[in-house]
Amino acid sequence: MTAPEAAGWVGRPVPVKEDARLVAGRGRFLDDLTPGRLLHVAMLRSPHAHARIVAIDAAAASALPGVANVVTGADAAVASKPIRPLIPTAAPLDDYCLAVDHVRFVGEPVAAVAAVDRATAEDAAELIRVTYEPRAAALDAEAAARGEGPLLYPALGSNVVWHDTLTYGDVDGAFAAADGVLEERFEIQRYASTPLETFGCIAEYDPGTDAYAFVTNDQRPGLTLAILAESLGVPQARLRLQCPDIGGGFGNKRRPAYLLICALLARRAGRPVKFLEDRRENLTALMHAASGVMHVALAYRADGTLLGLSVRDVTDEGKNLVSPAQHNLIKLGNIANGYRIPAIRYEAWSVLTNKCPSGANRGIGKPFMCFAMERAVALLARRLGLDPVELRLRNYVGPDEMPYTTPTGSQYDSGDYPATLRAALERFGYAARRREQTEARTAGRLLGIGIATSVEPAGTNLASYEIITGRRAASGSAEAAMVRVEPDGQVRASLGDPPSGQGYETVVAQIVADELGLSPEQVSVARGFDSTTTPWLYLSGNYSNKFAVTDTGAVVGAARRVRDKLLRLAAHRLEIAPADLELRDGAARVRGAPDRHLTFRELARTAYADVLGLPPGEEPGLEARHAHQNPLARPIDADRRVPSQLVFANAAHCCLVEIDPATGRVTIVKYVVVHDCGRELNPLIVEGMVHGSTAHGIGAALLEEFRYDAAGQLLTSTFMDYLKPTALDVPDIEVGRLEHPSPFTPFGSKGVGEGGAIPGPAAVANAVDDALAHLGVVVRSLPITPDVVWRWVAGRR
Amino acid sequence: MAVNGQAVERVVEVRRLLSDFLREDLGLTGTHVGCEHGVCGACTVLVDGESARSCLLLAVQLDGATVTTIEGLTPAAGLSPLQEAFRACHGLQCGFCTPGMIVVAHELLARNAAPTAEEIREALAANLCMCTGYVNIVRAVARAAGR
Repeated sequence: MTAPEAAGWVGRPVPVKEDARLVAGRGRFLDDLTPGRLLHVAMLRSPHAHARIVAIDAAAASALPGVANVVTGADAAVASKPIRPLIPTAAPLDDYCLAVDHVRFVGEPVAAVAAVDRATAEDAAELIRVTYEPRAAALDAEAAARGEGPLLYPALGSNVVWHDTLTYGDVDGAFAAADGVLEERFEIQRYASTPLETFGCIAEYDPGTDAYAFVTNDQRPGLTLAILAESLGVPQARLRLQCPDIGGGFGNKRRPAYLLICALLARRAGRPVKFLEDRRENLTALMHAASGVMHVALAYRADGTLLGLSVRDVTDEGKNLVSPAQHNLIKLGNIANGYRIPAIRYEAWSVLTNKCPSGANRGIGKPFMCFAMERAVALLARRLGLDPVELRLRNYVGPDEMPYTTPTGSQYDSGDYPATLRAALERFGYAARRREQTEARTAGRLLGIGIATSVEPAGTNLASYEIITGRRAASGSAEAAMVRVEPDGQVRASLGDPPSGQGYETVVAQIVADELGLSPEQVSVARGFDSTTTPWLYLSGNYSNKFAVTDTGAVVGAARRVRDKLLRLAAHRLEIAPADLELRDGAARVRGAPDRHLTFRELARTAYADVLGLPPGEEPGLEARHAHQNPLARPIDADRRVPSQLVFANAAHCCLVEIDPATGRVTIVKYVVVHDCGRELNPLIVEGMVHGSTAHGIGAALLEEFRYDAAGQLLTSTFMDYLKPTALDVPDIEVGRLEHPSPFTPFGSKGVGEGGAIPGPAAVANAVDDALAHLGVVVRSLPITPDVVWRWVAGRR
Repeated sequence: MAVNGQAVERVVEVRRLLSDFLREDLGLTGTHVGCEHGVCGACTVLVDGESARSCLLLAVQLDGATVTTIEGLTPAAGLSPLQEAFRACHGLQCGFCTPGMIVVAHELLARNAAPTAEEIREALAANLCMCTGYVNIVRAVARAAGR
């Protein structure tokens, strides 16, 4: 690799460092790690959606040769504290890492076994006898929102965790002045991004220091460490958490309860234990994107101008007390999509049901918000006899209005939404595709064109929870990083955000290389995370698209501190002003006289060994930490406006589908994405993220669904019935890009990890709807599986 | 059996899966396990030259067989042309599906040196990738085939 000409490494398609080990199978994933004397854990899980636990008999399991120990909810209640709900509940709940007295979803852990190998642990788990008294299950979130149905926690008196109505602007006035109101009801299913590596951990207890060590593929180590400390009753200073290579995350990889279960087993056994979900456990019990029902009312003028929006949104959380209302708050921050809508009302319900806990899943709530809005816009265009493109162009926030603050308090920092859509249409060949569609229909074929556009925020602001709790516990988006020149002059960096496939080792190296005058190959970036060496914050983690908008500031800040110190040390030794020096090719060089230089190795010798050579007052050593907070985060204001998310990218998706009326199969013929994530830090990585997240959108649109029966049994618990898109389902996604840099991030970059997953379902749904509208079909729910399409089409042609 | 050219002889429990045998008994952790019900393809290895799901085979079934894993497809120094193509096209993200993908692509290219994009997709369709949307994987295989 040769040094770049004028510009730096940031912005170039630098080959991904991590790929070199991963293509050879030399990654180090959780299950590749086997500490000595390791025990393996299996869990016994509830077969009921809702039941009282009458008795547990683990005697036979404990007696099985090879079994070290068994823990149940009763043990957990003695040895740990409940996991504190994110939103304070009306009454204290005994929500431990293992079910105590009641189970509340199929797959909830009831007992856990540690044994010499996984097979023995599973054998033992099968020997545990649990007597259940089944209860009626709460499965209908809308009924629960009305106050009907069985209660998960009778002490709370309701399954509704949060219900509120938020009004921004003169909503009643807007609806009164409107020429018309479009009202629709939309539904979204439960689905998940299902990283190919499942979730798990290794836990070890050291009785000598009363300390616990965890290795886990948890995506949010900062938050998890806080929960572990509180539930185990151990100071954070006696906890260590490490992350190895993580085989995909997408928000799913978190369950502090499993780490607690393993901590209890490891402590009792006096040996390290490992738990790794099998796929059925992963699909049944880890995390689903919340299902939900949304009523949308859109007030408009006859010319298509949007005047007001009123949304009633019921979110089916499953048994999620760890992050309830998260979907609601994030939808609120995104509710206007890219449109100028002056008056907005949002009535939200966050409702518990006897299903798998909902949680973070690529886009969190935004795919549903976008699906509902973009379907509504498409339907309104049809009602008004307008092209859906024209209706969007009439209502976008214009580039001249940037930065634009939405009625709910989100700030759209930059972008040209009309230009994004126009670029996508041009690449798609919109006019030609319309002709193709018309000709095909004459020939009896069903082609449809779907357009969806979206904003894509990055960085979470937990201050938004103050809407619910009335008090602020956490806020803002922040991350920490470290850069160090080692005593031999080589450079190393680490970051509090453990990647799960996003190539951070590469991008961090690009950033540091630019600051220190090196090439990315010369910068070693730590794999994963280690709470004892990586700088980190409570907010640290791999979530919310935050790398490009927050983490970058931490990395560049730490690198600049090291750069400045290198320059000060060199200036002192060369007796020259720091401003007359530059860092290039591993040395501090005198500008205009590059042969007069001191190498990093020579400067490191001064910093670490020959410390009498340091400038007066200079601290020995050559490393720096920096933490950065995103400047767009702010607290809630008096009108309850608060940005739940921060920097906004945007995208336009255009999709051509053909439907086989005989089988109901939807084939994606062409798929074009034009996106604008500001300045791209590494276009090779960015394009891959756009492909991948669009594929998630396609999966959610056409294939994926966690389906429960009337008793709350999950019917889709393997990849044979929970269908993921294959190479034959995902088309050759064509990607174009615009670059409107964010004024609020160090490099002008924006988030890009979720951009395809957000408008993808809407684009595909609009295309199917467009193909079938002449038959009287209206797409109001997902997924659009062949049986659904077949039923729509049958008898209507 | 012969694993990556080395003769291996072990006494194993009857229920020991080939995937567990490779990973835990032989330390060949490049073969990954993604679903254990034969759908995702992450655990794909070559058995007597043909791709097979190591999570659906028992080690005892492989008595006398020749098994090749990702370790056996990786040169002692550097990467194979197929692996180089995956890297050049960024045909991976988290890398968990990648060994299985490379095994399948290796088998395809051994059978068909110049596959079309459609043939590549057909061959890869038995393996799931949750990160890439397959676009760059298809490109990588086409690149390795010189297309």
